[in-house]
Amino acid sequence: MGESAIVTPAPSGRWPRTVVARETARRGVRSAVLWGVIFGVYVTESATGYEGAYKTSGQRHALAQTLGSDVGISAIIGPASHLDTVAGFVAWRTLGVLTVVGAVWGLLAATRLLRGEEDAGRWELLLAGRTTRRGGAAQALTGLAGCALVLWAITAVIAVAVGRSSSVHIDGRSALFLAVADVSGAAVFLAVGALTSQLAPTRRQAASYAGGVLGVAYALRMVADSGAGLAWLRWASPLGWVEELHPLTAPRPVALVPIVGLIAILTVLTVQLAGGRDLGASTIPDRSRPPTRTMLLSGPTGLTVRLVRPVVIGWVVAIALAGLMLGLIAKAAGRALTGSTAMRKLVSDFGAHGAGATTYLGVAFLMVALLLALIAAGQVGAARGEEAEGKLDHLLVRPVSRTSWLAGRLSVATGALVIAGAVAGVTGWLGAASQDSGIGLTNMVAAGLNLVPPAVLILGVGTLAFGIRPRAASGACYAVLAWSFLVELIGGIVNASHWLLDTSVFHQMAAAPAVAPDWTTNAVLVALGVAAAAIGGIVFRFRDLAGA
Amino acid sequence: MAEPAIHTSGLSKRYADVDALSDLDLDVHQGEVVGYLGPNGSGKTTTLRLLLGLIRPTSGSAEIFGLDCQRRPVEAHRRLAYVAGEANLWPSLTGSETLHLLGRVQGQVDAAYRGELIARFDLDPSKKVRTYSKGNRQKLILIAALMARPDLLLLDEPTSGLDPLMEQAFRHSVHEAKERGQTVFLSSHILSEVEALCDRVGILRNGRLVDMGTLSDMRHLSALTVEATFDGSVPDLSRVPGVSSVEVEGRVVRCQVQGTVEPLLKVLASSGVHELLSREPSLEELFLAHYGRSTDPGTGSLEVPALGG
Repeated sequence: MGESAIVTPAPSGRWPRTVVARETARRGVRSAVLWGVIFGVYVTESATGYEGAYKTSGQRHALAQTLGSDVGISAIIGPASHLDTVAGFVAWRTLGVLTVVGAVWGLLAATRLLRGEEDAGRWELLLAGRTTRRGGAAQALTGLAGCALVLWAITAVIAVAVGRSSSVHIDGRSALFLAVADVSGAAVFLAVGALTSQLAPTRRQAASYAGGVLGVAYALRMVADSGAGLAWLRWASPLGWVEELHPLTAPRPVALVPIVGLIAILTVLTVQLAGGRDLGASTIPDRSRPPTRTMLLSGPTGLTVRLVRPVVIGWVVAIALAGLMLGLIAKAAGRALTGSTAMRKLVSDFGAHGAGATTYLGVAFLMVALLLALIAAGQVGAARGEEAEGKLDHLLVRPVSRTSWLAGRLSVATGALVIAGAVAGVTGWLGAASQDSGIGLTNMVAAGLNLVPPAVLILGVGTLAFGIRPRAASGACYAVLAWSFLVELIGGIVNASHWLLDTSVFHQMAAAPAVAPDWTTNAVLVALGVAAAAIGGIVFRFRDLAGA
Repeated sequence: MAEPAIHTSGLSKRYADVDALSDLDLDVHQGEVVGYLGPNGSGKTTTLRLLLGLIRPTSGSAEIFGLDCQRRPVEAHRRLAYVAGEANLWPSLTGSETLHLLGRVQGQVDAAYRGELIARFDLDPSKKVRTYSKGNRQKLILIAALMARPDLLLLDEPTSGLDPLMEQAFRHSVHEAKERGQTVFLSSHILSEVEALCDRVGILRNGRLVDMGTLSDMRHLSALTVEATFDGSVPDLSRVPGVSSVEVEGRVVRCQVQGTVEPLLKVLASSGVHELLSREPSLEELFLAHYGRSTDPGTGSLEVPALGG
């Protein structure tokens, strides 16, 4: 027991000067390994999928012609060149998706490992050791670099292995450079997240600042790749620089210069700002004495609204912009769909038919469905966070039942999803209407609301996990989400079996507005979500509250 | 007689292969102030979380004012307020917003008393919780609990992080609660705090309630501390019946006496004792009697090796 506890130096005490770096790397490496594997699988799947689906040079040529000239595809994923070769296809498809996925991973990882650890008070313990604030930040950045290296190494090993296969034929050196290009978005946004961790007063704020930077970078890249004669804008966005690397097709290592340069500048700024501020404080001032606002604070559900409001507003703004953008390019992109067998296949895989702006939006709204599902996953994580951090205790030791607290949280989350879906529809309509695309407002709002049921299902699955394995609740949501999205991407390009496609929460969703929403199926999705949430709620009622 | 404020029978909690709490039978009567002492990890917080229905017992049951803690938690919670040892509150809310929220959720607030408490604990409620020190956050949840004037206060090491001045304010508030007939259950490892406030004390060790009684009940368990100063040579007291833990410092001998002091007095009287001090053991010493020794249970003596003599 306590009286016999003798403090023995931990083995890590051998290098006390690098404890922060090692601790940061240790906390981040698991997700780096996981995402390295996902990156590798995605590269593999792109190569083998292409080999399987487009066997003859005629097919490859047709693919290159249709996708290569498609402005919408180019804007969303990036310009598609050399699609008649496996190398060109792999480079285009992995870069377009992994850069953004990696950037999101990077900014979340950096803000979690820097600002999150600081918020939790663990930094204080580390900095009490033999290091300074500045040194601690430099060490943490080293730890993040370690995570990026792990991500790259795993991606590279798999890419090299795939390249060796006789049908793919990508030499080792090119595969290594492909891996560099695929993870450079992650590397840049690790650094961005580290910097915003110094600027913002909380982890969540830091992540949303970094998310804002990513949004702007993506929008700039998108405009540059929209064929509007603004290609030079690519140099204004880090995501554009990544594109300029042209791995496998026409490698341009010189584009690494701005990438590395930006990371270096962000690193120096991070260390400087960390040294110049108090621990726990932010560079951007946090109003410590705001006016008292008690309007919402009359019960647990009002509190939930108050707590999630900033995050939900951020998401809704992002979704509004995404809807607007997709609406704006829908007409031009839809035109490119006409006469393309490959694109028609892609479209029909999503249940849509024909061509034109509605067809394009039907496919493109899958992206928005993903954003809604991310809101749902985030809400499950937030509910679990209240429990893990002990904040929920303050409510549950008072006359508040667990069921009413959870039901309140789920209602708020569902409300946020409905608002987000409707907003996507309205802004999508605004964008499309400005181009005279001839899509009705009602159809677009219905298409927006059509995105809600899969997100409700995610919310339900997350709540089930929250009841049964609270510590795995967030992970379960993101796992289902990542899996579903990967399945959709795979299914969209290659012939995938139906049992595989059916494991995606998005697959039952009708591709509205290309086709009318299937409200019966939607009702089934919602019912499944509600049932899962109800079981989760009952289990939660009878289990122990669990700390972090 | 009214139902007890707290009643548990055979209350147990087992985590994997650790018995966090074993077979707790506890009764706290209305209007009592009961201390709950034990070192870290002895099961104090587990007991409180079971009473609050935040975790479920492996076996046994617990009631608050006759209401089952697991089956009717909401009704039980209407009559109590709880202060945790760690005040993890919502960082984006200000102090007054937090008090407003917790008051509304509780359903009852003595607004005048709230103002008095804010002044007493010297808290600036206009600041965001994020900017509060640990002590200030602790004050905030103390005020939130006290301002409801509940029938039962469950306090889990409530003064952690408070400075001595604020500890005084806390003690004052507990006295006030007692005068109003409120029941207080105070878990603590600060002995002086329990000694100053509590009618009865329970001592918890390794998940078991090893003793429960009034302070005077507990004292018989331990020895009387005797300090004697001699004129000349110091006699060997270690063989005197009932005497243990003999320490010699020059001409001063300190020892513990269990049971009657007569044999010791006889030896002292014949050895030229110049000065004699004896006192009741403090709760510190009671506590050490339970935790500070490794063998020899039941004698309550301190196993301090005699330094010569």
